[in-house]
Amino acid sequence: MAGSIPESGFAESALVARDEPDVRDRRWDAVRRAARARLAPFGAAVLIVAIVVAVAAPVLAPYDPVAQDLGNALARPGRAHWLGTDNVGRDVLSRVIWGTRVSLVAGFVSVAIAAVAGGVLGLLAGYAGGRGDGLVMRLMDAVLSFPPLVLALALGAVLGAGLTGVLIALGVVYTPTFARLMRGQVLSVKTRDYVDAARALGASAWWIAARHVLPNAATPIVVQASLSIAFAILAEASLSFLGLGVQPPSASWGSMINAGRGYLQQAPWIVFGPGAALFVTVVGLNFVGDAIRDGLDPRLTR
Amino acid sequence: MLVLVTAGVFVLLHLTPGDPVDAMMAESADATAKESLRRELGLDRPLAVQYVAWMGRLLRGDLGRSIRNGEPVLENVSRRLRPSLELATLAMTTALVVAFPIAIASAVRHNTGVDRAGTTFALFGLCMPNFLLALLLIFVFGVTLRWLPISGYLDPLEEGWLGLRSLVLPAVTLGLALAAVITRTLRSSLLEALGEDYVRTARAKGLSESVVIRGHVLKNALIPVVTVVGLQLGTLIGGAVITEYVFALPGVGRLVVDAVFARDYPLVQGVILLIALGFIVTNLAVDLLYGWIDPRIRIR
Repeated sequence: MAGSIPESGFAESALVARDEPDVRDRRWDAVRRAARARLAPFGAAVLIVAIVVAVAAPVLAPYDPVAQDLGNALARPGRAHWLGTDNVGRDVLSRVIWGTRVSLVAGFVSVAIAAVAGGVLGLLAGYAGGRGDGLVMRLMDAVLSFPPLVLALALGAVLGAGLTGVLIALGVVYTPTFARLMRGQVLSVKTRDYVDAARALGASAWWIAARHVLPNAATPIVVQASLSIAFAILAEASLSFLGLGVQPPSASWGSMINAGRGYLQQAPWIVFGPGAALFVTVVGLNFVGDAIRDGLDPRLTR
Repeated sequence: MLVLVTAGVFVLLHLTPGDPVDAMMAESADATAKESLRRELGLDRPLAVQYVAWMGRLLRGDLGRSIRNGEPVLENVSRRLRPSLELATLAMTTALVVAFPIAIASAVRHNTGVDRAGTTFALFGLCMPNFLLALLLIFVFGVTLRWLPISGYLDPLEEGWLGLRSLVLPAVTLGLALAAVITRTLRSSLLEALGEDYVRTARAKGLSESVVIRGHVLKNALIPVVTVVGLQLGTLIGGAVITEYVFALPGVGRLVVDAVFARDYPLVQGVILLIALGFIVTNLAVDLLYGWIDPRIRIR
């Protein structure tokens, strides 16, 4: 981390030099701790498979995910259709494969939106202090005073059905967490001696933010982000299940599960195919998130 | 705080591209009829004016009327409150009944097969989406075994046993997710409490293990559980929305979903505001509960 930031000026590089061995040690510690977590390899494998499937969906899917074949509706899982077909004869496996894209995009993009928006707001609030700080943080409190899913549901409905609406809605819902984290870091870093020193040397506020505050805040933000992605994927699936999000005939795990609800008796595979994909992905991401947290945050070793 | 919440709710819902009048009237209805309906509902006035009018009524306890059925929002909500509260009570009961034995067994037999089974249960409960668990339960107990009804609602306070049966699957769906969270927290706080000096003293006094657990460990391990339940409240409300939707329970959660999709602004505004209020009040109650459990942190 330290090495990637361009150095300028004698005093700064002196600080970097003193920090470096320490930082490197910690980094290796982090890797060792993450590897020690027994379940992390499984989680990592799930994540890699999911990413590959999402990227290579057009190649991997055996059928067109939206092509209907009414003569072959509700077909049992078999050699032709590994996960069976749905009520209009679409191949469930192909739809699950394409749905992986939606889920991963939803998870990563909405958390990225939240991390950037929350990060910027937290940075501004922490720096500005006083009224600006009060206003931003009260706004965040207001967002937090709604149950997340209810807020996302209302926002999603306002923004219109579609993936973009859901991404923004989830981004807004998760923003306060990141804003609070960032603000806390800013407030604690701001009072350190090395920040005073940098300021005395004439460093600008932006330089201090980039050089001192962000690197310090990176760990909690990364940990929070890795744990949030699994929940964001669940939330997108829930919203799709309720009818927001990707619109038919496009496939998303949540909407597939909702559509299969009426065929639970004749064709349970319509529900349990995407259901299993969703469950395994979320479990895997949780393992990865836990491993990252245990690796980066020594205080939380259990 | 509340002003921000109300303003947030209002601005949010009025930025929506959809038009409630279009949703209410047939495509064929002519422009003048639509215009008069819009005027009647006050939707033709500037947003700020609409907001001030709404706030004014709000302060007098009037949340407006649903566009769809014309009844006051408050009446709509109160009619739906009972199934939701019954669901919440049963789910909480389920969660506590499931979580406590598992957490205690896990902590007492730390690092054994029992413990691993307990933590696995907790992990799966956390990662299982509500709607998937609901459908799994419906599939097993409703469709395959045919033991329990899969949807619909009868009031247990009036229909007794039949009503209770209609709430078993929803309560288990909602309760297991909470049970997972409670199990996880209670297990780790029990483990911490078990390592304390006063536990060693209690054991040295010759107290039986069950007395040690009940009298000394459990009470001290409760605080983190209350905290986590408080933090999970929002998730729980979201879960209730999904659960009511899946099982067709006529509760507040179902009302939110229906109102959102019907673009019934006054109803969505009112219900979301009430839910946020309930959320804030319950969080306060959780804070007060701390003092009751642990006199050391009682607020003077």
